[in-house]
Amino acid sequence: MDWKEVANGLWIWICGGITSGLGLYMAYYFYKRAVSFMHNSGVPKEETRSMVRGAVITAIGPVLSNIFIMIALAVAISPGLAFQREGVGVGSVFTELVQVSNAAIAAGEKFGDPSFTMKGFAAAVFIMNIAGWGWAVEAIFTRYLGKAREKLTGGDPKLLAVIAACSMVAVFSYYSVSNAIKGNGFLVAVVVSLLSSMFLFKLADWMKRPHFKEWALGIAMFVGMIAGKLYAG
Amino acid sequence: MATVREWHVDPVAFERDYLKPIHRVGTITSTLIFLALFLPSIWLYFITGVFPDWQTILTGFGLAMTYAIPFYISEPIAYYPIVGNAGWYLCGTIGNGSNLRVPCAAVAQEVAGVKEGTMEGELVAAVGVTVSVFVSVPAIFFGALFINQIQQFFPAWLLDAFNRFLLPAVFGSVWGQFILRGWKYAPFAFVLALVPILYKVHSAWALVICVLGTMVVGWAMLRFLKIEA
Repeated sequence: MDWKEVANGLWIWICGGITSGLGLYMAYYFYKRAVSFMHNSGVPKEETRSMVRGAVITAIGPVLSNIFIMIALAVAISPGLAFQREGVGVGSVFTELVQVSNAAIAAGEKFGDPSFTMKGFAAAVFIMNIAGWGWAVEAIFTRYLGKAREKLTGGDPKLLAVIAACSMVAVFSYYSVSNAIKGNGFLVAVVVSLLSSMFLFKLADWMKRPHFKEWALGIAMFVGMIAGKLYAG
Repeated sequence: MATVREWHVDPVAFERDYLKPIHRVGTITSTLIFLALFLPSIWLYFITGVFPDWQTILTGFGLAMTYAIPFYISEPIAYYPIVGNAGWYLCGTIGNGSNLRVPCAAVAQEVAGVKEGTMEGELVAAVGVTVSVFVSVPAIFFGALFINQIQQFFPAWLLDAFNRFLLPAVFGSVWGQFILRGWKYAPFAFVLALVPILYKVHSAWALVICVLGTMVVGWAMLRFLKIEA
């Protein structure tokens, strides 16, 4: 049997549906818990709606990007497997394509070549899925991350705040610098989005319109993306 | 209108009514998602009778782990302090931490005016991360379902812009937001990001150096200079 005959079958969509359903259920449960706890603590409903709006606006760009980038995976293997891996998947599309190639090599075949058979496809499905085991296991043991943090900081609220603030600045310093250093449109995208974001957040403070912050990241990332594209051509 | 900055979280109630059920459901659901990773291969075996042999699995797994293991170490160190418990359950199982979950958590915290690393920050981050899941999972489903139409509907230059420049723009915009909130750490974080990159350190280890290095600087500023976040 040719691997392409089964690659987009109902089975893989159902597998993707099961993991997506579990992910959505977990998110829904956490959302209900967090929101009801906040409301019981005196947070007005308008404030939680504002948080939701901010997150939705911010999510639009990255989600569209995920879909567009997913095209490569869907074309290379199958839309069903792309959904199963990316819906509730851990790897980026690039990582997934690397894992397919690794699996093909392990099966003694070459991905993208006529030599790629059902054996290679079965290996790719297994390796792509199992490659994310570490993150899933870390999620299972999340409660111990909190305990480790408590132990390291002695529960000192000032030190906890320092650790979180340093982590935020450092993570995005690293990702931004590693992209900006490529130069050309990448540098422009990072710098323009950085300045736009700082300006828009400050503008919201100056204008005393905190709800404007809901839009700040979403607008800044689109402005940066378009600037990068215009510069690079 | 009351601002969220004024609300008070009772630590006992937070532990009992929020964290405990979050951990219970998070652990069970994460375990089920972990087990579901094997489902496609088992199902494929029943359809085709083909299952990779042990030699193939071990070789492929070994190749995959050379890439993944450094990130298994760096990502919880980097993301957990920002997204908290609920956020990390979702980052670990659903992924897209840096480009989607963390930015959504950060903007929700900014809108709410709460500090990260606090109980209030954890609750607000949970809202941001969960909402990003509500948006991304259905969107990916419909995106995969209508992949051909999407390719035809959007102009090539826009697809190219998203493919190449959205990610650096996401990182730049979130960086800008975080520089405003943690400006005193930004110069150190910048240097600690740049140097490992210039020395071509593996990206996951470079991230660990940058994050842990900045945390040490922050600790030293608090310990010796009494500078708080």
